[in-house]
Amino acid sequence: MPSASDLTRTAVRPGFTPGRVARGVLLVALVAAVASFPSLAPNPYILSAGIVVLNYALLSTSWNFVGGFTGYISLGHGALAGLGAYGTGLLVTRAGVPSFLALVIAALAVAALAVPIGYAALRVRGASFVIVSIALVLVLLLVFQSWASFTGGSRGLTVPRPFPDLLRPEHHRVFWFLFAGLLAVALLAWWLIDRSRFGLGLKAIREDEDKAESLGIPTFAYKLVVFVVSAGFTAAAGGLYALWFGDLDPVFQFSILTGSYMVLMALLGGVRTLFGPLLGALVVGTALEYFKVEYGNTPLHLVATGLLLALVVLFMPDGVLPALAAGLDRFRPAQQSIREVTAAELREQRERDAASPELAGASPGAPSTKERP
Amino acid sequence: MSSGALIFQSVVLGVLLGGLYALLASGLTLYFGIMRVVMIAHSAFLILAAYLAWWSHTRLGVDPLLSLVVTVPLFFGAGVLLQRLLLSRLRPATLTMMSVLLTFAIAVVIEGLLGYAFTGTQRRIQLGYGAANLELFGARIAVVKLIAFGLAAVALLTLYLLLKKTTFGWSLRATIQHRDAARLVGIDTDRVAGYGFGIGLATAAVGGTALALDTTIYPSLHWHWIGPLMAIIVVGGLGSVPGAAAAAMLLGLTQSLLQIPLNTTWAQTIFYLALFATLAFRPQGFFGGRLAQRF
Repeated sequence: MPSASDLTRTAVRPGFTPGRVARGVLLVALVAAVASFPSLAPNPYILSAGIVVLNYALLSTSWNFVGGFTGYISLGHGALAGLGAYGTGLLVTRAGVPSFLALVIAALAVAALAVPIGYAALRVRGASFVIVSIALVLVLLLVFQSWASFTGGSRGLTVPRPFPDLLRPEHHRVFWFLFAGLLAVALLAWWLIDRSRFGLGLKAIREDEDKAESLGIPTFAYKLVVFVVSAGFTAAAGGLYALWFGDLDPVFQFSILTGSYMVLMALLGGVRTLFGPLLGALVVGTALEYFKVEYGNTPLHLVATGLLLALVVLFMPDGVLPALAAGLDRFRPAQQSIREVTAAELREQRERDAASPELAGASPGAPSTKERP
Repeated sequence: MSSGALIFQSVVLGVLLGGLYALLASGLTLYFGIMRVVMIAHSAFLILAAYLAWWSHTRLGVDPLLSLVVTVPLFFGAGVLLQRLLLSRLRPATLTMMSVLLTFAIAVVIEGLLGYAFTGTQRRIQLGYGAANLELFGARIAVVKLIAFGLAAVALLTLYLLLKKTTFGWSLRATIQHRDAARLVGIDTDRVAGYGFGIGLATAAVGGTALALDTTIYPSLHWHWIGPLMAIIVVGGLGSVPGAAAAAMLLGLTQSLLQIPLNTTWAQTIFYLALFATLAFRPQGFFGGRLAQRF
């Protein structure tokens, strides 16, 4: 999180700092890796597994609009993705809408539906929001399983492919780039919000909602807007998945597990960082795919997911990236926080400064207020 | 059967079901009151207790009710450990959110272990008195449902007396009302909170045994329980035990009556409708006090 001292530091040293160059190099490397993966993938299976991981990355980045900025944990985003998928699928099969138009309509419709859901969930503080998010998954699972005449029920819904004349590997390749493009848009949106006044207000809600409100931030409206944005991206991800995978089953689309994977990935990577959810998805998504190949679907999946989630929550609630950054900080010259200087040391320092006035200007005027994790 | 008798039967069944809901929801309310924790794993422990009752009946051949002698102290201990070792480690600032994730993780681990140990096959206890019925004004009530209700009622009454009449109950309620003030008058709030969690989890043990008597159980069944239970505590007003009990009775009755015109699945959506309606129009719930205003 940028603080006042970060701003002054960049103002003092404009242009290319080593940190910025390193970040730019990493970004270019990431783009190059994404662009070249379809050509490097040895077989279509690896490519399709990569698309699944990319889908997870897109989902958890979309989740992070709410979870990262406001600190409200939603376990129900799986349901929003499922709604996007079913919306797209039903528009294509029942109404004959062209595939990608259906995707856009479905995403907008889910975003619109998120307004009343958010209205009910966000008027009060955290606990009710979590309860609503879980209830959303459970009620939609009931509805989509029972309303078989419309949704296909437990038999599932087959969505026709948008490019019927493409072979399967080509199909995967096209969708890889579609997913990557949507992920880039989501990351860009997150980055823009992160730098805006709106984002500052949201982060104030995360740190202390009462104080944020007393400072004049319209907390309810802010939370609602970011929830709607998040729902729109999540639904678009679900719709794209429907077009790619072509077969929807309520048990998987409205699974509480999908939502918990999103949370796990975002938390593991770091909810306060732009690329945290992407990194988390890379680790957890790859592990999930690997376990599926090696061991098939056993109940031990659940045990492993649960244990990992519990470990992250207990020991690394800020994620891997911030933990790594804190580790790196140890090797840097110590950044003094105002809390680490005792009154006695401060008096000693003042006396020293008073004794040698020419040095007083060299000591930092304001101690760094860098946030400690 | 005439429709009047059908409705009467539904009312009776609804009250019997509502009793079980009330017991389980009061456990959830206790956790929330003590630590502002939404305990997702409550219903997973419920199913775990049901499995233990089933296991002791099929493997050891004892009556499922006898398993209570083991499960209640066991779950009490598990609840104390859960609060002292895990939940109290979380940062106070993000406690509500992180505790949801932690208890969710516990629920998923329990579901996975149950599936691993007993497979996903549906299980049901075959009791000698399982098919016995009681005729009451034209309504047929299964004896096991009455036993389940009796269990729930006795447990609820015990809980009520414990909270209202004992010194421990007073200190527990003081901890719920104002933790700092409770500490000021000399209550060891950490220990009381741990015991409170133990009592909450013990309600899951009793509920699970009652559930196992007349329900087919499978590992993922807990998701069908946590949704209605969470809806009940929100409608009742988070943190209010009488509110939870009243909402449980009301919603249990409504669900049972709705099963006449609709099928079972659609009737269950009433819980979620009530949840959304409550949050949209009266977010503090219908019986909630000061506490519910802020959550």
